[in-house]
Amino acid sequence: MAIDVKPTRSELIKLKRRIKLSEKGYELLKMKRDGLIMEFSETLSMARGVLEKLRESYENAEQKISIAKAIDGTIMVRSAALAAKSEPEFELRSKNIMGVVVPVVKRKRVRKKLSEREYGIIGTTARIDEATSAYEELIDAILEAAEIETTLLRLLEEIERTKRRVNALEFKVIPEMKEAKKYIEFALQEMERDNIIRLKKIKAKAEA
Amino acid sequence: MKERGFRLAVVGDQEFGLGFRLAGIRDIHEVSDPAEAENTIEKILGDRNIGIVVIQQNIFDNLSVSLKREIEERTEPTFVKVGGEMGVEELKEKIRRAIGVDLWK
Repeated sequence: MAIDVKPTRSELIKLKRRIKLSEKGYELLKMKRDGLIMEFSETLSMARGVLEKLRESYENAEQKISIAKAIDGTIMVRSAALAAKSEPEFELRSKNIMGVVVPVVKRKRVRKKLSEREYGIIGTTARIDEATSAYEELIDAILEAAEIETTLLRLLEEIERTKRRVNALEFKVIPEMKEAKKYIEFALQEMERDNIIRLKKIKAKAEA
Repeated sequence: MKERGFRLAVVGDQEFGLGFRLAGIRDIHEVSDPAEAENTIEKILGDRNIGIVVIQQNIFDNLSVSLKREIEERTEPTFVKVGGEMGVEELKEKIRRAIGVDLWK
């Protein structure tokens, strides 16, 4: 490091204060990082289950709609689909995990009752109803997966950022300040010795 | 996130979209070739009302590398890949990069 501090006592005091502060911040950030990682691994184990569920409900939905299409014909399914028009409603809230804002998806009635569906009960078959139910379930699973995936990604981002800050403090900022402190201390001592010698010389001259 | 609205969009081929249509979702983009898919996704990325995008895995796979990266680096909207691997691989890769260990196992 290029030492560009003035070797004065006031600088030294300032430096000492800054080192103390940085070390405190470093400890705190380290704790935050560990906490985030713990939170992350918890969320991760949840995510595995959610993704598995997503895969299952997708396969189920695919199967149901294939059956519906095979038996009732594609056109039938399509017309039923065109009739459906009430969009599922969601609500988005946010939750705060150690300074990371993550979304919480609240599902408002994705699943509809049979009689609430826009295509009539008589006009369509049970297979189409089943396919619709399967897809509604799939949407549920998707929402859950989206929530958990966003949470994971946000946590990852924050972990990365915190890690970078911890490392910067540990390997760059704090060592540099410590070096500067050492330099100042050394320079001050050197000046002191200079002064003593000078005084001695003056004294010798005065006595002579 | 508050400023971002919350709608669900679906990107996939015709077959894929049909089921979601049954469940009442209106925002369905049916795409048949990669170029069309890319245009659609650009549009979706620009739409601040969309919070979640459901995308068919093989359509996602055929996107250009830069667009994929764009999707991956954004946290909003969230892309949920459906069909096939469900995006597990990408997630693993990201975890490896951020933490340095594969925590997935």
